[in-house]
This record gives sequence, C-alpha cells and structure tokens, in this order.
Amino acid sequence: MSVVAPDRDAARVSDRAWQALIIIVVVGAWEGLTRVPWFVANTVFDPFFISQPSRIAVRLYEWMRPGPQSVWPHLWLTLQATMWGLIVGVGSGFLVGLALGRSPRLARIFNPFIVAFNSMPRIAFVPLITMFFGLGMLSKVVTAWFVVFFLVFFNTYKGARSVEREMLDFCRTLGGSPRQILWRVHVPTAAAWTFAALPNAISFALIGVVLAEFVGSTTGMGYLMTTALATLNATDMFAAVTLLSMVGILLVSALTALEKRLLHWSPEFRQ
Amino acid sequence: MISLSGVGRDYIGRNGVVHAVGDVSFDVAPGEFVALVGPSGCGKSTLLNMIAGFLPPTRGTIRVDGEPVNGKLPDALGYIFQKDTLLPWYTVRKNIGLGLTFRGVPRHEAQARVDDLLKMGNLTGFGDAYPHQLSGGMRRRVALLMSLAVQPRILLLDEPFGALDMHTRAHLHRELSVLWRALGQTIVMVTHDLDEAVLLSDRVIVLSGPPSRVLLQEQIDIPHPRDVFTVRETAEFAAHSRCIWHVLGEQFRAVA
Repeated sequence: MSVVAPDRDAARVSDRAWQALIIIVVVGAWEGLTRVPWFVANTVFDPFFISQPSRIAVRLYEWMRPGPQSVWPHLWLTLQATMWGLIVGVGSGFLVGLALGRSPRLARIFNPFIVAFNSMPRIAFVPLITMFFGLGMLSKVVTAWFVVFFLVFFNTYKGARSVEREMLDFCRTLGGSPRQILWRVHVPTAAAWTFAALPNAISFALIGVVLAEFVGSTTGMGYLMTTALATLNATDMFAAVTLLSMVGILLVSALTALEKRLLHWSPEFRQ
Repeated sequence: MISLSGVGRDYIGRNGVVHAVGDVSFDVAPGEFVALVGPSGCGKSTLLNMIAGFLPPTRGTIRVDGEPVNGKLPDALGYIFQKDTLLPWYTVRKNIGLGLTFRGVPRHEAQARVDDLLKMGNLTGFGDAYPHQLSGGMRRRVALLMSLAVQPRILLLDEPFGALDMHTRAHLHRELSVLWRALGQTIVMVTHDLDEAVLLSDRVIVLSGPPSRVLLQEQIDIPHPRDVFTVRETAEFAAHSRCIWHVLGEQFRAVA
C-alpha cells in the first residue's frame, strides 16, 4: 500500500490541476470574449444574453449579504422542499420497491400501472400538482416526490429481486424466520441498490422543486429565476444556476461520504 | 438416517415433461459420508434440494430420521451451496454467528461458540475481516462454519469445492475430513470430481443420465483417517476409481 500511495496522490494532484485548468479556460474565455466589442456584436458572447463571470460573482456577493435582496430565504425554502421530497420519495420508493421485489405476485399485479405511470411525462403533472396543492411548500415536495419515487423504486425493486435463492435457502437452514431474513438479507441488499440511485435522486429532487417554483410559487430559487426572466436579467439567472449546482455538488458529496461509511463492506470501496 | 425410496422429479421443459430424476432409492446411515456422482443433468443437485426440503419430489418418499420430508425443512440440517452464501455486510464473526442470532442464542454463549469455530476452521485472526477481504478457500471455510454453528446432524454439500484451484481444494479436503471425524455428521456430497468422491466418502453412489437411477454403490473401504495427500497414490484408491469410472465413463459417453 505504502508503495502505491505516492503514485495515487500524484495522480490526484494532476487530476485537480487539469480540472482547475478547464475551469480557468472556460471562465476566462467567457469573461474575455464578452469584453471584445466584435464578439459582443456578432456572436453569442453578448453579456445581455450570457452575462459575465465577474457580474455573476458580484451578484452572488450581493445576494449573500443580509437585506431585502438576500438569497438565503429563497435558497433555504428550495433546500427544505428538496430535503422533504427526498425523504418522502426515497422512503416510499424503498418500501414499495422492497415489497414488490419480495412478492412476485404483487409485482405482476402492479407492473402495468407502474410502467404506465413511469412513461407519463412527469413534467406535465407539475401544473396539476400546483393546482391541487397550492402555491406553497406542499406542491414543491409533491413534485420532488413524484420524480424521486420512481427512480428509487426501480432500483430498490431490482435490488430486492437480486437476492439469490441459494442465499435464502441457506439462511432458512440456519434457522432464519422470514422476518429475520427480510431484515438481514433483503433490506441490506436492496439498500445497496437504493444508494446507487441516490445521486440522481438528489439532482431530480432539486429539479422537481425548481420546476414547481417556476410554475407557481412566490418563493424559492425557481421563483427568483422566473422573476429574472420577466426582467430579462441574465446575470440573476446565471447566479441562481451557479448557486443551485453548488448545492447539488454539496449534497452529492455529503452522500458519497455517507455511502463510504455505510457500504464499507462493498468491494467497490476496497482500499 | 436418510432414506430415499422411489424418488423422482419431473419438470416442464420446452419440449414437454422432462424426467430429470427417474427412480432413485438409497439409504444413508447416521454418521456416514456418501458421495453422489453422475453425468450432468442427472439431477444430483435436485436430489439434494429434495432431501433438504427445498423442493418436493414428484414421486416417491424421502425420510429423514423416519419423518417424511415434503417440502419442509428437516431440523438440524446444514446445506453448503457451490455459490457464495456469505453476507458481505457482516464480518466473518457475525457471519458465523448468524444462525445463532437467528435462533436467539444468548450473546456471550454465541461469542464463545464462534471463537471455537474460528479456531476449528483455522481462521483465528480473521474474525473481524469482511468477506471481500478473504480468499476463495477462506470463504468456503466460513460458509462451512456458518452451517456448523447451528450443530446440524446432517450436512448436504452441493459441489462445495467446485470453484477452487487444486491446491486450495486439497487443503479443504483435509479440513473437511478432520471436521467430519471430530463431529460425526451424516454427509451427502454432490460432486463432479471422482477423486474427491473416493478420497472423502465411505460410499460413492453413481447415478445414470436422466431419467436418473442408481447404477452403482461402491463401498470405499479405505480406513479413516485418510491422508488426503498420500491416499491417492494407493492401490485401493486406484482400484475404486477404476471401478467407478468403468460405470460413470459409460454414462458420460451415452449422455452427450
């Protein structure tokens, strides 16, 4: 291990250097070209449309400070709705996936409905959800739940089905009751598969919430973005997008850390 | 005591009913080690599954200690699959203790028993390792110890060493032989390795191709304890092997 470690560290430093270089080139070109009059006049590099990194940075700084323009209440509401949507969506997706994965009969009965629901364009339901649940938090949570549920459900279902018959028979010979086998075999197997769906679930929940805010809300990051659209303010839009992707990155890296702790037994995380 | 009389098992294949197990009868005495060999498709594993109660037979009866087995698990039965059946999220120690947890054995008692088993399987020091950190041979030993933890009187082994290299397999043969002599279980082992069958068992039962029946029951009278490394070189070993191969080879030729 100690022989390999320096190589791995060196590789990591080199990866980081490349990533930094890519960011510098993209952001540099964006900032530079939007300052050249010819590009502004003849190409897409017009600050009116794509703003400018420096302007976006200034806007973000203004948003961070306390006051009526502060972004924190909006960000907090979006985050709150995302977290609730995730909790409800992952919880229900896991339970239903586990139940159907363990019972071939239930799976046969519900299969056509699940396929039908899953092939519906979920975005089309957002106005309907807003109509049912109003302009507040509930609509956002329901929208997030609606997109997260199926994602988690399908993975958990596959996971529960991946438990091998030999494993179950073996546990029966050891004296395991169906309930004991459920907790010690099905739940951990399915959970490993559920975890694999979570990075996508996080992004989808965030998208769902912002979408619900687009359609009907007076708060949240999605609301900020529709307001920016109404005033043709590209800087506000890019600032909001930047903030949202940073939130996404933070949530996913928190998840990865959690996964490393919980799934340390998995060969995937072998040291 | 295991007793099979007129046991058969059919299943529905693509071209109608397939008689996999035709008509199989044999007894296994308490403490006896019996090996089942036969061409592929003769339903060796199916027989083992039926003895364990995982599958009901289509015909005939199976009795374990006089009680008929009809798709219900006999008590005190251990089953080792060829596939890995360790729970990857538990340490070796927790895996071995799984059956004791299932049966509600008090913790300190279970701990002591797991310690004994670790010693018995030469795995002391690996108690806190996870399955993915072990070699294939070690994982097989853990699977065996998981079964032994609940003190079965009968052990059914389904090609237990099939996926291992020759060296690891030889060592596990020795360990199984020693454990069996110490604990005295009744063992029925399905194998495709004729040497393994002669090496370990008291009796080798040769099955025909499907629909299978018993063709030969060869008593292996090499006295125990056998040295698994030198017994292969003896004349008796060669004689038994030749005798079984005479019948088995004929089947291999018939079943393409």
